[in-house]
Amino acid sequence: MNKTLRKPWTYVLFLLPLLVLYIMFFIYPMISAAITSFMKWNGLTEPKFNGLTNYKHAYHDAKFWDAVLNNGKFILFSVFVQVPIILFFSLLISNVKKLKGLYKTAVFVPSVMSTAVIGILWSFIYEPDIGLFNLALTKIGLQPVMWLSDSQWAMFSILITNAWQWTGFYIVMVLAAILSIPREIDEAAIVDGAGAFTRATRITVPLIMPVISVVIMLSIAGAMKAADIIIVMTKGGPGGVTDVMATYLIKYGITNAKYGYGNSIGVLIFVFSLMLTALYQVLVARRVERVEY
Amino acid sequence: MTMTKNSLKRSIPHIVLFAFLILTLYPFLFVLFSSIKSDNQAIASNPFGFPASFHFENYREAWVNAKISVYFFNSLYISTLCSVVTILFSSMGAYAISRIRYLRISNVMYQAILIGLLIPGNALLLPIFIMLNKMEFFGHAVLGTHMALILPYTAGAIPFTVIILVAFMRSIPGEIEEASVMDGLSAKGIFSKIIMPITVPALVTVFIINFIGNWNEFLMANFFISSDNLRTLPVGMVGFRDIYNTNYAQMSAGIVFSILPVMIIYAVLQKQIIEGLTAGGVKG
Repeated sequence: MNKTLRKPWTYVLFLLPLLVLYIMFFIYPMISAAITSFMKWNGLTEPKFNGLTNYKHAYHDAKFWDAVLNNGKFILFSVFVQVPIILFFSLLISNVKKLKGLYKTAVFVPSVMSTAVIGILWSFIYEPDIGLFNLALTKIGLQPVMWLSDSQWAMFSILITNAWQWTGFYIVMVLAAILSIPREIDEAAIVDGAGAFTRATRITVPLIMPVISVVIMLSIAGAMKAADIIIVMTKGGPGGVTDVMATYLIKYGITNAKYGYGNSIGVLIFVFSLMLTALYQVLVARRVERVEY
Repeated sequence: MTMTKNSLKRSIPHIVLFAFLILTLYPFLFVLFSSIKSDNQAIASNPFGFPASFHFENYREAWVNAKISVYFFNSLYISTLCSVVTILFSSMGAYAISRIRYLRISNVMYQAILIGLLIPGNALLLPIFIMLNKMEFFGHAVLGTHMALILPYTAGAIPFTVIILVAFMRSIPGEIEEASVMDGLSAKGIFSKIIMPITVPALVTVFIINFIGNWNEFLMANFFISSDNLRTLPVGMVGFRDIYNTNYAQMSAGIVFSILPVMIIYAVLQKQIIEGLTAGGVKG
């Protein structure tokens, strides 16, 4: 028995293809990004060590902080706007007797679609002349809005699209958690005379706090990753007001071949994501006791 | 009286939920209707309703003139090939990690691969771009060819795939292997004849999830490939939009082409897709 499943060469053979790819596309890029982030490098000449210059440059660039702020808007929008909506609808779906499956299947649809295609679809909806929104606005006698080219509305329009794509995904996650709560708990509360609202706020929500934590953590991760939706809908415009860290990185690193500077932004994305996750864990998640039932 | 009050009370949640469903699904319907309208004028005069006349030629024109067919088959073969190779390598690796008796090394490997899930993909976009720029494959530069997508797509799905497969393979009882060893099977034989067939449900799930992920991927496809004939569907669609943004009817037909395959897969395999996506927490 042990001999058959303890042959070093077999072990190596089975793991090798996986490890080669993993080292090539995860470990090596991570290390090379970290190292070249301290270098001046345009891809043509030899990279030159320049200490913290790239990071200082990012620190003093107002455009970079605008991009960071936009990542922050993504996070704030999901925590304070999306999460309540997600909670409301998953509670609602969990309480209906019929059509649960239909609701669950239907709300999930946008999250399996390509973000790029969703971006195209929504820029059609936001189109100034024949888009849905402006046709509706003019029909009720209001002024049309230049959704994606007005710097006051552009970021908001993107946030709406992003929320539209992912709300259903989280509803399904939270719904699964609600449905896994044993029925007896709810029934006991009904016997004690608790109304639907009291049961939702005093029993269901506290019991699913761990899943809400997961939703918030995934929202943070998603916000740090956001890029394709912005490139497709506004290309960071107008005038850079919708740039996020990732599109800022692409602008410098790939389009203008500032490899060293671009990589320092990549490192900052990684560090900021870790810091936010850690901060959330310390400030919020630790207070949420894990409930076993 | 109480009957009607009760049934009203029971239907309010459904009314609210239906409103939410319409909000979620209406954009798709809007595109579907627009795709068979004659032109922008027809869309603008009747944006919400059913088309007055059907113009299916939008589909033919998008498919042929706008080269959606080329992009479609590029996406199809790249997504399929990468998902298959990811699964092949990952199941071999997952087998070694979960079943071959080098537990301490395996544990280190597993933890190392878990780290891959923590790295925001965008942070690696540039170093991978630089690496592919320098890399050559049989004397050809990799950047700008399909290889520049195939390699990172195949590698990128590894952490998620390995984690799902290791979890599944660990749950297979050891007695099955013991019996197979008695029957004279080698480690390779156990893998291909015993473990893989048992793992099929998990393999289907990760295949679908990876396929959809590759099919939808935009950033690398946009920046690693420049030649029009090599583009994948999402990038081709964006290019199409930038050129034909005056013809929304045809553009809608293009959107339908790119959404339809995923819709069909989702209609058939929604259970696996929902489970796989929410379990992995792989949000795009």
